[in-house]
Amino acid sequence: MTFGLGSLSWEQRRKLTGLLFVLPTVLFVTVFFIIPLAMTVFMSFHDWPLIGEQSWIGTTNYTELANDRQFLKSLDFTFRYTLFVTPPIFILGFILASLVRHQIRFIGIYRTIFFLPVVIGLGVSSLIWVWMLDQRVGIFNKMLLDLDLIAKPQLFLAKPATAMNVIILSVVWKTVGFTMILLLAGLQSIPDELYESADVDGAGYFRKLFYITLPLMRRTIALALILSVIGSVLAFDQFYIITRGGPRNSTISIVYWIFNNSFTYWKMGYGSAMSIVLLGILVALSSIQYYVLRERV
Amino acid sequence: MTSLHLRNRPAEAGALTQQQRRRIRQRALLLLKYFVLTGLALLFLFPIAWSFLNSLKTPAESLAVPPTYLPTAIVFDNYAQLEAFGNYGIIGHVENSTIVALLTVVGSLVLSTLGGYGFARFNFPGKNLLFIMVLSTMMIPFQSILIPLFVMLVRFELNDTLIGLALVYITFQLPFGIFLMRNSFLAVPKEIEEAALLDGCSSLSLLYRMMLRLVLPGIVTVAIFAFINSWNEFLAALIFMSDQDKFTLPVFLTLVRSGIYGTVDWGALQAGVIVAIFPCLLVFLLLQRYYINGLIGGAVNN
Amino acid sequence: MTPRRIIFAVMIMALCMGALPLSAQDDGVSMTMWVRNIGDQVQELVDAWNDRGGSQIQLTVIPPNEFVTKMGAAIAAGESPDIASIDLIYAPAFAAAGQLLDITDWVDALPYADDLLPAHSELGTYEGRKYAVPFLIEGSFIIYNKGLFEAAGLDPETPPTTWDEMLEAARAITAIDDETYGYYFAGACAGCNAFTYLPFIWASGGDVLSDDYNAATIASDPIVREALEYYRTMWEEGLIPESASIDDGSSFVSAFGTGTIGMAGTGAFGINTYRNDHPDLELGAFHIPGKEGGASSFGGGDVIAIGSGTQHPQEAWAFLEWMMSDETQLEHYAARNRTTVRVSMLENEYSQDDPLVLTAASALAVGKSPYSLVYNDLFNDPNGPWLEMIQIAILDGDIEGALQLGQDRFTQIIEG
Repeated sequence: MTFGLGSLSWEQRRKLTGLLFVLPTVLFVTVFFIIPLAMTVFMSFHDWPLIGEQSWIGTTNYTELANDRQFLKSLDFTFRYTLFVTPPIFILGFILASLVRHQIRFIGIYRTIFFLPVVIGLGVSSLIWVWMLDQRVGIFNKMLLDLDLIAKPQLFLAKPATAMNVIILSVVWKTVGFTMILLLAGLQSIPDELYESADVDGAGYFRKLFYITLPLMRRTIALALILSVIGSVLAFDQFYIITRGGPRNSTISIVYWIFNNSFTYWKMGYGSAMSIVLLGILVALSSIQYYVLRERV
Repeated sequence: MTSLHLRNRPAEAGALTQQQRRRIRQRALLLLKYFVLTGLALLFLFPIAWSFLNSLKTPAESLAVPPTYLPTAIVFDNYAQLEAFGNYGIIGHVENSTIVALLTVVGSLVLSTLGGYGFARFNFPGKNLLFIMVLSTMMIPFQSILIPLFVMLVRFELNDTLIGLALVYITFQLPFGIFLMRNSFLAVPKEIEEAALLDGCSSLSLLYRMMLRLVLPGIVTVAIFAFINSWNEFLAALIFMSDQDKFTLPVFLTLVRSGIYGTVDWGALQAGVIVAIFPCLLVFLLLQRYYINGLIGGAVNN
Repeated sequence: MTPRRIIFAVMIMALCMGALPLSAQDDGVSMTMWVRNIGDQVQELVDAWNDRGGSQIQLTVIPPNEFVTKMGAAIAAGESPDIASIDLIYAPAFAAAGQLLDITDWVDALPYADDLLPAHSELGTYEGRKYAVPFLIEGSFIIYNKGLFEAAGLDPETPPTTWDEMLEAARAITAIDDETYGYYFAGACAGCNAFTYLPFIWASGGDVLSDDYNAATIASDPIVREALEYYRTMWEEGLIPESASIDDGSSFVSAFGTGTIGMAGTGAFGINTYRNDHPDLELGAFHIPGKEGGASSFGGGDVIAIGSGTQHPQEAWAFLEWMMSDETQLEHYAARNRTTVRVSMLENEYSQDDPLVLTAASALAVGKSPYSLVYNDLFNDPNGPWLEMIQIAILDGDIEGALQLGQDRFTQIIEG
């Protein structure tokens, strides 16, 4: 032992060494996680401008939230976005996972390609999409025009509905590989014998899907869905970059509105109160995850 | 239907047995599958390939309305244009991103290895509580505590520094890193370690001399995750960095997108996009086994 | 104290004293200056200053959408720049936060103190103390394409003076062919519409804020509704290109440059851009009209201030003083078609024969600048109520809903 603690017994020294090994981690988590978490609660009861004096205002920030129509709109939008983006990610992810499931020739290349967008940052991928969607230099309009599907360039980001749709398209492209890999791992953990005996019984594709695949993959499916839902609730980059919250402020997500209030309007106390609400939503989602995944262990 | 058909004309032509037919059918299905797979693969590659092709156009062609499909000439002017952008050019911002990513990688590795080893091999009071505390970081995403983090960094005068940003990134790599490294250490047979301890090795030198080699896959995985996540992160970098010269790549690129002099330089933007995705693709393609294993291990097992 | 320490202390003091006179001169001093991206005018000016030798200024360009955020964050971190060129409407907020150096004494000592543009100077004043001086002067007005006026059978030399005349002109120009449009506005740019749309309301005697800027009058002032209906009519009749609805400001200047737009709001910054990039356009300008006549303008642009955290207040002030001097105003402002910061120099040897520059300058005489600590949150924020109200009313046609939303959210922000 290099610590020069000769007087301690071997047992005690082991304990101390163990503590020393985890100490840096504990320190980091305390300083950059536990304390900020406590501070979020503390700040949410203050009027806390970015520059200037703070003052205690009790629960005013929280009562104001109820009257903040943009906050309510953002809540509504974030939930709707989550509701619309999750099924395509899941269904396409499932289809892809089924397609690449068996070890046929070149399959590794296909898996890699479908997964590739996942390792690109969401901010950067949004920059590709905002350019592809542009009405003047964008490729989508060019192709649609050349195929005679449209008569004049479309403004994809001009209407709330189309803006939401194209963002969903970009996010599906960016994240579906992740869901695919999770589901693939789940699919591969199902023993082949089950399918073989089902084949003997003459079961068709959908019978096998509903009686073998889906039930046995419950845990994986729940996990894939919940991770995707949590990611959608926290969405920010794509709205900040592609739509900038527009049109008509219809695509301002919760995190976006927190960002605006805290760092553009300098109301950090108010932003903290919203963060607490967001936190509550996420803890609820994580609890569901915990519950569902635990159930069938 | 098919089988009925077959039974009605069992001897006809005599060429195809049921088995052969099944094989042909399987072949056709396989071919169809490859067809679908290839089509999807092209769709998935399209945005990246399209961005890459456009970064090679001349600046004038990148701004053409309507756009051209393929570059008429391959030049690197868009990249040069990007280097002339801002005070600092693209290389400066690549440097920033690299520094932050390396700090995050080194920091997460050191902390996760030490911590993972500590949690895997030692017993001490409060161990379970501390472990749960570390893992709970995963439950609460950093987006919800950005405001106090900002206030704290300002107070420590770490705001607007690459180190400050890296410290935050390290923290949010920790739960995954600790979890993975702990499992890696648990998988190493205890006997190896005990023999070495009896030989008089200290815990630290044991870790350094023997264990690290045995848990190398875990280390590589933690490093890749730390690299890719810190290289790509956008929101925290946007908030914590106010000095334009210190912007990391993604934030710098939004600056290019907003267009400094009234018009957006789309060609330069796509050049920047390519610069930003290249290292991630490279790291992933070279080490994807570790990345995928980490992803599945990290996501499924907790 | 040991002898060694005393020697050490003396050495340090000597070093400090040696350094003091050095820092009082401007040799070797390097200062940072922040601007929002407003073209190359500032770069030229700073280059000219740096070329004189002496203290050097390094420019950092911050995108306008992020200026308040970045400036606030830097100030909170104690890293504010030595000099900042601030959108004038933010000046009160920064001054109120104690982040700008009080330069009252220096300003008052200037021989031409009373000659500085009043609207800008007022925005640079907070509770009677002066914190900023005029720097970049932009009064909004309407620029028009004389070629299109002629093609539409309108007299290019008598521009419209009322809303109806403008509407008629816009209709005539739109009717020329499929490519032409009568009018343009950046439908997704909050600041652009404060700059070019608010004056339509002001010129007709209305306002969206009460005289003391402490209450919203959106729902109560009938002119606001009429102004929304006015733009709505133009939008509905297709007098404005559809792409305007998603212009977040990046085509605010360039759209008119294509030569297919009859009229568009702009500021002095547009004059040089159009002349340099589109020399073939024949340009005219007129003041933003009121419903039945009259005129108004948004007195915009930047004021320049010294950061309260600066180590080089003297050098920073030296730059400001040089910038406002007769010579600089003539050589670097007037000679380059820019509006001067000095009232007596608005008309000068360079502007006399240039009706555009004269219009830009005279716009300031009818100009107005709202003085509000929450200006950004109300008008300039891309997610703020001003833009949302405009979009709902003009693009969607829901004027009632827009007025209600505008009134509610303005009130909420003003009452904080």
